[in-house]
Parts: sequence; C-alpha cells; structure tokens
Amino acid sequence: MLTTRRDFLWQSGGGLGGIALASMMGQEAQFQPKAKRVVQLFMSGAASHLDLFDFKPELIKRHGEKSDFGEHVEAFQNGLGPWKKPVWEFSPHGRSGKMLGETVAPLGEVVDDIAFIHNLTGKTGVHSQATYLQATGFDRPGFPGMGSWVSYGLGSMNDNLPTFVVLPDHRGFASNGPKNWSSAFLPAVNQGTIIRPGTKEPITHLNAPESAAYLTPQAETDAGRLLAKLNSEHFAQRASDSRLDARIKSYELAARMQLAAPEALDISGEPDYIRKMYGLEPDGRSWPKEINWKEEADYFGRKCLAARRLLERGVRFVQVWSGNDNGFPRRNWDSHEDIGRDHGPLSRGMAIGAAALIKDLKQRGMLDDTIILWTTEFGRMPSTQGSKGRDHNPHVFTNWLAGGGIKGGISHGESDQWGYKPADRKNPTQVYDIHATILHQLGLDHEQLTFRKDSIDRRLTDVHGHVIEEILA
Amino acid sequence: MRFVFLLFICSALTNAAEPTWWSLKKLSRPELPERSEANSIDRFIREKQNTLNLTPAKTADKRTLARRLAYDLWGIPLSPKRLEAFLKDTRPEAYSDLVDELLASPRYGERWARHWLDVVHYGESHGYDKDQPRPHAWPYRDYVIRSFNEDKPYSRFVREQIAGDILWPHSEDGIVATGFLSTGPWDLIGHEEVPESKIDGKVARHLDRDDMVTATITTFCSLTAQCAQCHDHKADPVSMKDYYSLQAVFAALDRTNREYDLDPAVADKRAALKEDQRTREIRLANAEKALEKIKTPEIKKLDVKITKLRKSSGKDHLGYHSQVSNKQDAVKWVQLDLGKSMPIDRIEILGAREYGFDDFGFPHRFKVEASNKADFSRSAILADFQENDHPRSGSQPVIFEGKSSVSRYIRFTATKLWSRRHKGKPLTNNWIFALDEMTVTSDGKQVPVKKVTALDSIEALPRWGRTNLIDGPPADPNTDLASLVAKRDEFLKNVAAKELAKIKTGRQKVEALTKELSALPKPRLAYVGAVHTGKGNFIGRGHLNGQPRDIHILDRGDVTQPLDKVPPNPVPGIVVGMDQFDLPKDHTEGDRRVALANWITHPDNTLTWRSIVNRIWQYHFGTGLVETANDFGQIGEKPSHPELLDWLAVEFRDGGGSMKSLHRIILNSDTYKQSSLHSSSNSAIDNSNKFLWRQNRRRLDAESIRDSVLIVAGKMDFKMGGPSFQDFIIEKPQHSPHYKYNKADPDNAATHRRSIYRFLVRSQPQPFMDALDCADPSLHVDRRGETTTALQALALMNNKFMVRMAEHFAAKIAIQPDPIGTAIRLTLGRHITTDERVLFEAYQKKHGLPATCRIIFNLSEFSYVD
Repeated sequence: MLTTRRDFLWQSGGGLGGIALASMMGQEAQFQPKAKRVVQLFMSGAASHLDLFDFKPELIKRHGEKSDFGEHVEAFQNGLGPWKKPVWEFSPHGRSGKMLGETVAPLGEVVDDIAFIHNLTGKTGVHSQATYLQATGFDRPGFPGMGSWVSYGLGSMNDNLPTFVVLPDHRGFASNGPKNWSSAFLPAVNQGTIIRPGTKEPITHLNAPESAAYLTPQAETDAGRLLAKLNSEHFAQRASDSRLDARIKSYELAARMQLAAPEALDISGEPDYIRKMYGLEPDGRSWPKEINWKEEADYFGRKCLAARRLLERGVRFVQVWSGNDNGFPRRNWDSHEDIGRDHGPLSRGMAIGAAALIKDLKQRGMLDDTIILWTTEFGRMPSTQGSKGRDHNPHVFTNWLAGGGIKGGISHGESDQWGYKPADRKNPTQVYDIHATILHQLGLDHEQLTFRKDSIDRRLTDVHGHVIEEILA
Repeated sequence: MRFVFLLFICSALTNAAEPTWWSLKKLSRPELPERSEANSIDRFIREKQNTLNLTPAKTADKRTLARRLAYDLWGIPLSPKRLEAFLKDTRPEAYSDLVDELLASPRYGERWARHWLDVVHYGESHGYDKDQPRPHAWPYRDYVIRSFNEDKPYSRFVREQIAGDILWPHSEDGIVATGFLSTGPWDLIGHEEVPESKIDGKVARHLDRDDMVTATITTFCSLTAQCAQCHDHKADPVSMKDYYSLQAVFAALDRTNREYDLDPAVADKRAALKEDQRTREIRLANAEKALEKIKTPEIKKLDVKITKLRKSSGKDHLGYHSQVSNKQDAVKWVQLDLGKSMPIDRIEILGAREYGFDDFGFPHRFKVEASNKADFSRSAILADFQENDHPRSGSQPVIFEGKSSVSRYIRFTATKLWSRRHKGKPLTNNWIFALDEMTVTSDGKQVPVKKVTALDSIEALPRWGRTNLIDGPPADPNTDLASLVAKRDEFLKNVAAKELAKIKTGRQKVEALTKELSALPKPRLAYVGAVHTGKGNFIGRGHLNGQPRDIHILDRGDVTQPLDKVPPNPVPGIVVGMDQFDLPKDHTEGDRRVALANWITHPDNTLTWRSIVNRIWQYHFGTGLVETANDFGQIGEKPSHPELLDWLAVEFRDGGGSMKSLHRIILNSDTYKQSSLHSSSNSAIDNSNKFLWRQNRRRLDAESIRDSVLIVAGKMDFKMGGPSFQDFIIEKPQHSPHYKYNKADPDNAATHRRSIYRFLVRSQPQPFMDALDCADPSLHVDRRGETTTALQALALMNNKFMVRMAEHFAAKIAIQPDPIGTAIRLTLGRHITTDERVLFEAYQKKHGLPATCRIIFNLSEFSYVD
C-alpha cells in the first residue's frame, strides 16, 4: 500500500504520520477518496462577500438609508453608517446564472464548477484570532494548519518536493505570519514550506550562499558523497539506530530537492496562451506606485501557475495568500476606508488567477481530484464605514469550493437580506464543516484523524464539524 | 455532543476516598531495594532489570562520558585542554569532580534555563496580529539563569514566579520572576483596540487568563486543568468550577511592563513616595468631595456650564483631514466657496487639536490664495510660505489679511506636509495635512461659506470631513471658559475659603511628590504579569486598585454565557486538607496568588515534587520516568519506575529542593554512565529501553549545535544577560514588524552569543533554529521534537551563519600544524582516524579547508551524543 518513499518520509517525521494513516485504515468507515490534492486561496484582511459573491438587492434599494439591524451590533471600529450597496454591478454568469460582482467577472467562465457557501460564520472580528480559526480550526496559536493535517494524514505523493507548500503574499505575511501553516505539535515534516517563485532562493537554505564561491557544483557533489560515506560508517557502528539512517537519506532527499524545486518553478517553458490566461505580464516589468489590477493579476497569477506546476509534481497541499499585514499603503482586503480602492484591483487579480487555475487544472484532467477552496478570515458589514469602507463582519461571509468531487454551479446556505448574519441563524456553516468536507473528499474522517497532545486527542475540527453533503457531486 | 476525549470517564476517581491514580496518591519515601549498589538510583533500576532479565550495559569510556556530561550540563563541548586533563586524571574522583566543576560554572545555568524556558513557553514578541516585540521580557530569562546557577531552592523558585512581587516585593528576583505569568502569547489588538465591554474584548481577556492558568498548572503540576474549560475534565478530577476557580486567582492581572529598582534603598524610597502620593491624592479627592457639598445651586449651575463647554471643545468634530501621502512634498489643497464675489477683510485658519497637538496636521509650508475662478487659473496670493517653514501655529489661529481682494473662492494649498506620528515618533512615509477651521471676514462680518472642496479628504465623519472645516470654532477655553471659571471660583471663595486653601496645598504637595519621584534614578522595566494601569481600551485593573475581575463559569467556555460566579480556589484532592483557599473576605489579588503558590509548594502536593524530578530526569536520559512530562493525568503515561520517581521526589523535597544535588545523584549513578551501545538480547525484551539497560543516544538540540559551532569557530562571546541579540533586521516596525532573518549579517559580533540570549519572535521563527526543532514559544514544550527532514539537511549545509562559521573555523585551524586533525578534535572530542584523514585531505585539496569544515559540521557524529 505504501510506497517506500512515503514510508521514509514518515519515518523522517518520527514515524507518526504512518501511525495516523495506519489507525485510519483500521476504521470500517473508510471510503474511497474523491480528491488527492488541495489548493487553499486565502484572502487576508477579510474580503467582502457583499461586493464580490453574495448579491443583496435590498442593499441597492436601501442604499444611503440609516442602517437598522434590528438588534444591538458590536462592530470592530463602530462602522455602522448607512446601508451601502455593492460597489460593483452584479450580473448573471454561466448556466447556473450565478450573480457575480463585475470585479470578479473572470470567474464567470468557471462559475459552473464552483459551489458557493454564503452562510459561513466565525467567532470574533479580530484578524489574528479569525485567521487562526480559518487556517488551523482554533482561534489561538499552537495548532497545526489544515495543510499540516492533510500531510500528516496522507503523507507525500512525491520524492523530491515538500508535501505542503505555502506561497505567501510577496509583500509580507498575513496576520500571525508562518504560524498559520506551522505543524505545531505534529511532526515538523508536516509543516508548510514557504516557496517564493521567481526569487533567487525560492526555498530558504535551498542553495549555498553566493558569497561562498568555492562551493562549486563539483564541491557539492563531492561533499554529498563524502558525507554519505562518513555518516554511513558512523551509522554502521550504531546500526540499531534508524534515526542515523534517516539522517543520511535526508541529505539525499535534500540534493534531489535542489534540482526539483527550480525545475518546478521555472515557467519559461509555459506557452504564451497559458501565461495570458493567468494574467502574466512580461517578466521583470515595473509597476506604478498605486495599486492596480494588472499588477495584482500578475502577482496572483504567477502564484496560481506555480501552484499548478507544484500540484503536477505531486505536492499535496498548496496554500496561496493574497494580502499582507495592515501596513501602509494598504495591500490587503481590510477595506475600512475604501472598498473600491483595495478590493477592486485585488479581486480582479484574484479572479483572473483563480479562474485560470480552475480552467488549467480542468484541461489537464486534474480538477477532478484537486479541491480548490477560496476563503478569508471573515466578511464585511452591509453598512458604511467612513464614506467608502466597510467594517468587519465575523457573523457571515462567503467561501467557495471547486473540483475534487464538489458539485459545481450551486450556492449553499444563505445570508440574511442584508448579508449581516446567516438567514438561518441556528444553522450556519462553520469552518469545521468546510474542513470536515475537504478531509472527507480526501478520504479522511475528520473525527478519526487525531494526534494526542497534553491529554487531548486533537483534531483539525476540534469537537465540531459535519460534512456538507449538499455540495458533494 | 461529541468531545475530543475518547477515553472513558473515571468518575470513581473523584469520589473515592483513597485516590487510585498514581500521581494523586500521597507522596511518601519508598524503601530502598536491598542491594549492594551504592547509588540509590542504581538499586531501583537494577532491581527492575533483574526481574525482567535485562543486563545493564558497561560503563561508557571516558571520552564518551566527558562529551555526554559537557552537553548535558553546558550544552557546549569541553575545551580540548580540560578534556585531556580529565582523560589523564586516573583518580576515582576524576568523574565526580568534573560533574561538580560543570555544575559550578555559569554555563550550567545558561543550559538549564533553556529547558525551563521551553516548558513555560517564553517568547519575546506578542504573537497574534502585528506581533510587536517585547523589549523588556529578558529580565525573566536572566532570572531563570541566575536561579539555576544559584541553585535556588525549588520551592522558592516556584513561589517567586507566581507571587514574588507580593512575597519579596523589594528584591529584584521577586519582581522579575513574575515574568513567568506573562511568557505566553498576547493578543494586542484584542486588548488595545477592543474594550473589555465588547465580546471580542472579553474573548481576548478570557484567552489571556486561560494562558496563565495553563502555564502555571502545566509547568508546576503536570496537570491539564485547561481541559476543563468547556466541560468537566473527561479523565482527571478537575471540574469546570475548579478550572474557573483557578482563573479567579489571576483575575486582576494583565501582561505589562513593570517598573522596579535594583537598589533596595531607591525601591523603598519610591514605594514610600508613591504611597504618600496615593494617600494625599485620596485626601485631596475627599477634600474635593467635601467642597462639592458646600457648593450653592448657583455654583453648581456654573459647573454644569463649564463641563459642557469643555466637552464641546473636545474631540467630536475635528476638522478637515487630507488623504495620506507617502511624499512630504505632495501638494494638497482645500478651498471655500463663498457663493459670490466679495471684498475679503481677513482669513483665519486654526490648526486641528488631536493626539495632544494643538496644530495637528498644520503644514510646514503653504500658500493662501483668493480667486473668482473655481479652478484658480487666476488668483491673488494672500500669503506665501512655500520657500520657508511657517512657525508652528500651536493653539493660536493664523490670520492673513485680504489685501483688498474681491473674490468668491479662497484656497489653502499645503506644499510641505506634516508627518503622522506613531507612539510620538514621526513616521517617514506618512504625510498629511489637517485644519480645524477656516473663517473669512468680509465687511467686518464672518461670511457664511457655501461649499468646501478639496483635492482629497479622508471623510471619516463625525471626526474628520470637509464640512467640519466650517462648523464653527471650538469653544475657546482661554476666553469663555476662563471667564466662567473665574466667576465660579469667586463664588466659591466666598463660601468655602478654608476648603479651597486645603485643596490648594493638597495639590501642591502631590505635585511636589511627583517632582521628587521623577528625581529618583530611572527605574528598570520588566515585562511581567501584574495589575496594569492603562488608558483607553487596555485599562487593566489599576484604576480599581487591583480589584480582581469577577470570574464566572462559562457555559461551554462561551464568554456570552456566564453561569455562577466563582471565588479563587485550588483543584481539590491534590493537597490533603486543602481543597479551598482560606482567604479572608477583604483579601487582595496578591493574597490569591500567594495562596496558589502555597498550595503548589505544599509538601503534601502530590504533583509538584514528582513533576520537577521527572523533568530533570528526562533531560539527563532523553525520556522521563513518566514519558508525558506535562501530563500526569490518566491520559498521560504511567511511570516506568514509580518507586524511584517517588524516592527522588521525596529526596528532593526533603533535601531543600536543590537541583544541583539531584543532578549529582543522577549523574554519579552507574545507570547514567552506561554506554549507549545496542544489545540484541536486551532489545528483544525491552525494545524501547524503557528500563534503561543502556544510556540513550541523543541528538543535540538547535542551541547546542549553534553554540558549539560558534565556539569551535572561535567566535563565541560569553557575555551574560541583558537585552537579547537580534539575528534579524526589523522592517516596517510601526505596524506589523517584518522580521527579516535573511538580511542579518552572520558576522555581526553582537549576535555571537549563546543561543539562550537570542531574541525569540513568536510569529516568525528563525529558519535555522526552527529547522532544528527548537521550541515553539507558543507551546509548552516538555520535550523537543526530534525530526529529520530534507529542510534540516539544507539548513545545516547552506544556512549562511553555518557557512560563515565554517570559514572562520577554517581560518582558525589553518595555522595549526595539523588542521584537519585539530578540526576533528575540537568538534568531536577525539582523534582523527587514518581513513578519515585520507578522505578529508583529498577533499580539502580539491575544494579547500572551509568546504571541509562545513562537512565536519554536517557529520552525524557532530549532531549526536553517544
């Protein structure tokens, strides 16, 4: 059942991944996986459901009227001005006729592959806690990211690249930084590896520093050989200690990764129509200071294209981030001041890249077993903040999924007439349900994928989670 | 409802009179097995091995022992000289002398403090969003190092960390030890941007107390009390009520920088002055209250007017505020439309009052123009300060004459903008311009303005907006207010001259004390858990004299679902006869912490003493007698040698809690000194070496590798204590600092210190140390992970610090008669073999000595200790 390479990788991680799978295999309820891979697109700063995906005619009708939620509302920055209509016109797309904001119209071409969920609800309107919640299932530090759990549960599908890859926004990390993809208490082999496509050192420590010119390719090859010989002799005298053997193999894997990673990220061979589809501009072109959609499309598209190439080469989980920390000028989705200014370019860029990724995976026959999840930490308020912005709304927001056995062209769960809270407040969708559904498609039972830490059999879904059957094909 | 815990509920345990679970049983000294071994540990271990048919390994050779001891106690290798002396020393005491020598060195405290910092999840940034640094966290780290080096009695060590500020208020250790309570992550936004009255604020503070409870009970008691947050503990006797009773112990605390003095005399003086100031402030407040009673209705009416006036001059409608620019010389304007052309007498411009500035946003350079064309294609210049800076306007209006112009439009154009501030410091890429008010006078009368336009505006009403520029000036405190106050005071003087005099002298005395306080030497700062006195949303409990917050049991851990209020109490059933704290009704928050400290360090606490000796054992053998050092509950592991554990715990407790004595007993045992070599016959019986038929081979932790590399490269600076070195560059510090490790210079001598002095960022771990499984400061790490990954191999090979140190190492040994042999002796503590010499010299000839040294750093033998 297990390939040798996977066996080895798990042993390298302390052998625990193997245990996870083995214990799962003992379960009677084991089922045939629909998907093998996951791409998670994370919009940092909280993307507005109201201006992109969740069409609310009532807001257009009541635009400018004093907002009245019918109850006391606590908003993060007290942004409870008049009702605010969507910044962009909405129009129907695809056979399903899904209403999309004009700014994300490029997704119209693939909208029939997408299942939207409009009644996601979070816990708090604080970025850090909410980002943790969507990324790890817990609202505080110390828990593994979803990609780490998937890596732990299923192991690797390749023998020269990491299992879980993270493509951060090149301008900086989102709230919580690398803790969003940390392996926490899971073996470190499951942690997200940052890859920065198009840079000199796409993986930290991938190559010797340039200053050490004496470390020529020949010196490296000879070094690998010499180390293997000396470490093997050391191991031979301590033959019962398999850690020493794993260590020798880890150097061999490292050498293979040095070759595989640049090849995986080299897009020079990609044909023009692919580059165009992903919204890529000529390499190395310069950009105006102001945020603009072409630049955003280029950045996001390059990450999506890298994601596709990594998935093709057996990477199991790719996490793509859009948006950095709350620095100045704003380059994330936290549009307190001006939805149009930030959401416009960011969402147009995202839509081009995401649509291209879906189309590209489809034409390669990979969409069937690759799940794409679009998410963010929470939504934004239907009322106005200042004159052009929207405040945080942790009560309701949108996720969408595509591929990997997800039913396309549907919308599941509704928000209320304002997009303020779920229409059915008693039965919202939570991140646990999203996570449970993705694990389910991967053939993992979210209640069985556990790791014991300080007395608790920890799960990605804590003590919650239901598979959302309605969105499964 | 489904729960995480899949194990059965052992309710019998909570009810039974005699606890059946090992860690809750009374701690008493077990009989020593009747055997010949001199060391008591060996007797317990051998006794067990006998019954299992295990044969202990032989004693390791002296070289192996020396290396093992050095890494165990120091985390760095012995100097070649000391190693040779030890090898030559044939006296029977040579080994125990070396143990004593290593324990007496300050290097010991630096090594063992690191273990402690792992367990208490010590970090130096807040974590969460923004992840701001904590520049004053390090005094706690130094305290831990000092305590280990001084061999501080464990009971005192524990008590200081929970309540040192109460028990030893005038000692440095007493204050900085409470850094323990603040080691964990902290949600800055949830505290500083959200008040406690909001749900998000409540969640943040609940998480904060949870972290304090978890840290305390996990660290000292190895009990997972935090599991009882949403429901009673599923396996151990901790109810929700017990858990929230523990939260009540910390209910007055926040994480905050606390002032302290090294000189006890200054500390006493400061405390006395502060106390004096406090009582005088109370007296003053009372006098003011008494005055209130004397006030006539007439005076009271005036008071109301004054308050109103003060309020209206306050912060609601601040004025006009431009968009932010990243260039100081960006040109921005705002203009008034008077509706029709008219003679302009004069224009008055008032700066905005915000963040303590009376001229917030007032541009340094600008011009004022009048025109009859809205686009100012032709205009008359009324004022021109484009070449030289205009003096800061302060709270005074700036007035320009109309120069007999007859115009409809007035435009104010800023050409050199004002920089926004962060914590008082000007930002370099954040330029704005703002004004409170612009008024135009024509024919001796103020003109009503028809419309305000601007190049841009942030329009954040009610505070900022174009229309606020013409909404009338704030009440002028210098005129209207002053006259009202004068009138009121006059009335007061007539009815309450004596009271007024008393208030006046009272105020003077308080001010004098403030002056005296500021004349004292500047106090030091330590980041600790303490009663915080703050402003705005993060106000803390200082303003309530440290009165603890009410703690309620929260239904399913939900802050919006409070149930019964609970008083502070310990977990019952752990110290016999102490199921509740005996606190008087009027107790202080400090009394609560002292009570908890007394409970934890009580000789009859069944957990505390077992917990600490097990931790110490683990660091000497790689595995504890109880494998789950943070969890002695029913989901944790059972002890492999329960009698030995209890014997060590009692010996430690009754011997005054000396860590160094405990080390000596362990390190001088034959069990410790065994070789780590494999035996297939033993392995067939006990594959995991649970019964210690050999010593465990251990991989060096990240710190030991880094420190060893620095030492052999000849670059180590053994400077102790003080602020942490930063092996990163901080970019964009104002908001969310970017910690750039790749931009740090590996040759920066300030970073060539022992790894325990490294600045620990929570959100962005240092890539090299992280690849080598260093502790995650958001987790209570009882045992380091030990993973072997390709990324780790890449880090050891290619990290620029490693490569640079290999180069320094090469330069250092190049001048020796036998460079390669020296390199092996320094790194591995042994002589080079003939085969190795051939291989290394061949490689060196081809690729040079630095490349060869890099290979030596990557040998398995360098990373492992037999």
